[in-house]
Amino acid sequence: MNEAPAQLLLQSCASFLRINIKKVVIMVGTTQHSRRQFLRSVSVVAGVELLQIAAPAIAVAATAARKSGSAFQVLDEDDAADFAAIAARIIPTTDTPGATEAGVIHFIDQAFAGAMQGSRAFAVAEIAEANQKLDGRFADLDAMAQDELLHGIEDGEFFGLLRVMTIFGFFAMSKYGGNKDMVAWKLIGFDGHHGPWQYPFGYYDAEVHGGDYNGE
Amino acid sequence: MANKKTYPLDHAVDFVIVGSGSAGGILAKELSTAGFDVVVLEQGPYRRASDFKHDELSVVFRDELQGGGVANSGQTFRDDEAKVAIKPRRQPARYAQNVGGASVHFTANFWRFREIDFKERSALGAISGTNFADWPITYDELEPYYTKVDWEIGVSGAPGPNDAPRSKPFPMPPMPVKSSGVLMERGAKKLGLTTQPEPLAILSKPHNGRPACISCGYCMFFGCEVNAKSSTLAAMIPLAEASGHCEIRPDSAVFKIETDKRGRAREVLYLDKDGKERAQKTRAVVLAANGAETPRLLLMSASAQHPDGLANSSGFVGRNLMFNAHSAAQGVFPEPLNDYKGVQVTRIIHDFYESDEKRGFYGGGGLDARPLWSATPILHALEGMPPDVPSWGAAFKDEMAHNFTRQMCIVGSTTSLAMDRNNITLDPSSVDKWGRPAIRVTYRDHPDDLKMAGFLQDQAMNIFDAAGATKTWRYPLQPTNGGEHLLGTCRMGDDPASSVIDRDHRSHDVPNLFICDGSSFVTSGRGQPTMTIMALAFRAADRIKAAAAANNI
Repeated sequence: MNEAPAQLLLQSCASFLRINIKKVVIMVGTTQHSRRQFLRSVSVVAGVELLQIAAPAIAVAATAARKSGSAFQVLDEDDAADFAAIAARIIPTTDTPGATEAGVIHFIDQAFAGAMQGSRAFAVAEIAEANQKLDGRFADLDAMAQDELLHGIEDGEFFGLLRVMTIFGFFAMSKYGGNKDMVAWKLIGFDGHHGPWQYPFGYYDAEVHGGDYNGE
Repeated sequence: MANKKTYPLDHAVDFVIVGSGSAGGILAKELSTAGFDVVVLEQGPYRRASDFKHDELSVVFRDELQGGGVANSGQTFRDDEAKVAIKPRRQPARYAQNVGGASVHFTANFWRFREIDFKERSALGAISGTNFADWPITYDELEPYYTKVDWEIGVSGAPGPNDAPRSKPFPMPPMPVKSSGVLMERGAKKLGLTTQPEPLAILSKPHNGRPACISCGYCMFFGCEVNAKSSTLAAMIPLAEASGHCEIRPDSAVFKIETDKRGRAREVLYLDKDGKERAQKTRAVVLAANGAETPRLLLMSASAQHPDGLANSSGFVGRNLMFNAHSAAQGVFPEPLNDYKGVQVTRIIHDFYESDEKRGFYGGGGLDARPLWSATPILHALEGMPPDVPSWGAAFKDEMAHNFTRQMCIVGSTTSLAMDRNNITLDPSSVDKWGRPAIRVTYRDHPDDLKMAGFLQDQAMNIFDAAGATKTWRYPLQPTNGGEHLLGTCRMGDDPASSVIDRDHRSHDVPNLFICDGSSFVTSGRGQPTMTIMALAFRAADRIKAAAAANNI
């Protein structure tokens, strides 16, 4: 395929399952503490605004995964709950839908059953190892504790994998399990994949072509 | 088609064409409609327009049209010949595997070369450490074939102020300007730069029985579901098949061109869709497999008679690989562009086309305005985000959602210098899914290539500022580690000691072996090679027909 962009993609997409090279890390807590120390300290500050906003989403994510356990092809309920919780921190539910509402966990399950089955054992082992260091499971932590834990591993391959799978599951066609009711496309103002489209497309070409663009 | 022509293996056809892409599809149509019996061997499947879906995950990230990527190709990469090449995650040499080749999934930006591209070495002098050379043909010799591409393949556009002369107007107007093009024009005007409509191998009006573009937005990486993109699948293959003299044989992975005692090609060996070895007898071979596959096949065809590979007495098979260097800058604007709709590019700037010694380095290129990553959601999320935003969490989500409809990109495409150190060779240990030695890419840009890419990125940032972008950033400028433009690896030339084919695309060593694709290039041009590949193919077909008429094949 002729064209620059694909070549540019190559250059950075070597990292597309690893780390975002442009990432700016924002720390929500101090990393001098061990995870366990931090988790304890988090319990002290439980009730911060972030937690209040995000916690219901986490609860929904965890419950949704557990309740529909039999719907999973390869994931057991606990692992599904943890992966769903991670996805819900990567694309959180705010005043708009996030990974939970898009059903990203069903994409992850379907991918681990098929195209990405080679990564399933790795992911399950990684979450098991993370859980060993916790009192419960990742899914049962509050959002702030989850974020802190994820910041500690965000440069690693496991988080990179879950991040990419979350984005895939959020935006890929619904037939892959996620993007339920096209919530992800609606979120970003993408009118779907069907076309055809009529000019003008946007605000600036409407100045040239006249007429109304079908904006957000 | 009910009565497709088929040829028996042991009956020597006039031509076997290896590859059905930008060059192979045209050669198939030209030779078969001239009455020659042609078998086209294509390693990929025969997909139709109805097979092309808007499935970003499958097409962009699972390499649906590209044979499944490295897992199946085994391709390896290194930036230095002293290193052991390794398999990267993304394929280094990228091209579609299907009837129509990469003309099916390319973005269809379609620049002609200019006169200077063919004689730049004479104009500028030697560049040390490179194989910088003039072409043995001129723009004037190729111009009628550019025009043939315009009309037979189908190109929309309008002439720019400094374009090379054309003997006939574009057959149809350019695609309407998009918001990205309007904003580029706005910035350029303030800076005294000149924009022009992008020539595209995409129909703006119905042409030759094919429909106009429906602006679905799925050009880059995707196949066109309405045949408005001027692939050879849409424009040439149907004519070849209708001639009654052409068999398109898909799922046929060629692994050797066999020669006879006189050193002439006599049969082409391949694996059929069941993995069975087959041998098609032929009177001549046209190799049009692309700038990575063509040298691989020649190197794989080594024999006692041709120990360094077929047609390789010069040692130039696989050498001088050129990808074109690239850069990109991103801009966000206050109002929605919705640039994911429609073709990628509608406006370009060619003010920096020619090399300028005042810059202090060799090179030239073009700028284009397009959505780039922000044409599809997953790419936008993974590649299109600004550097000051975290890569996950609420801030990530908000930025992603806000920018998708408001974001655009200015891409810089530039020259690459031909060098010995950049090449295609056979990997000593990796094989592809058919068991053939894998393509090994060795590549490190000439410093001037990257300087030019950086220069264009500077211009792009200035244009964004002048156009009123509220946020801009540079996509990191990195050494090229792969690409779609596969150029220079069997270069054309008059001297058999420093080129693989002559000016008529006949290999210097094997009289009935012709080679025509991106590998024929002597220089890289400014970053959109497919128009020139197609023009070369029409010209090569004429030269081959003339040789056949003179009983000289």
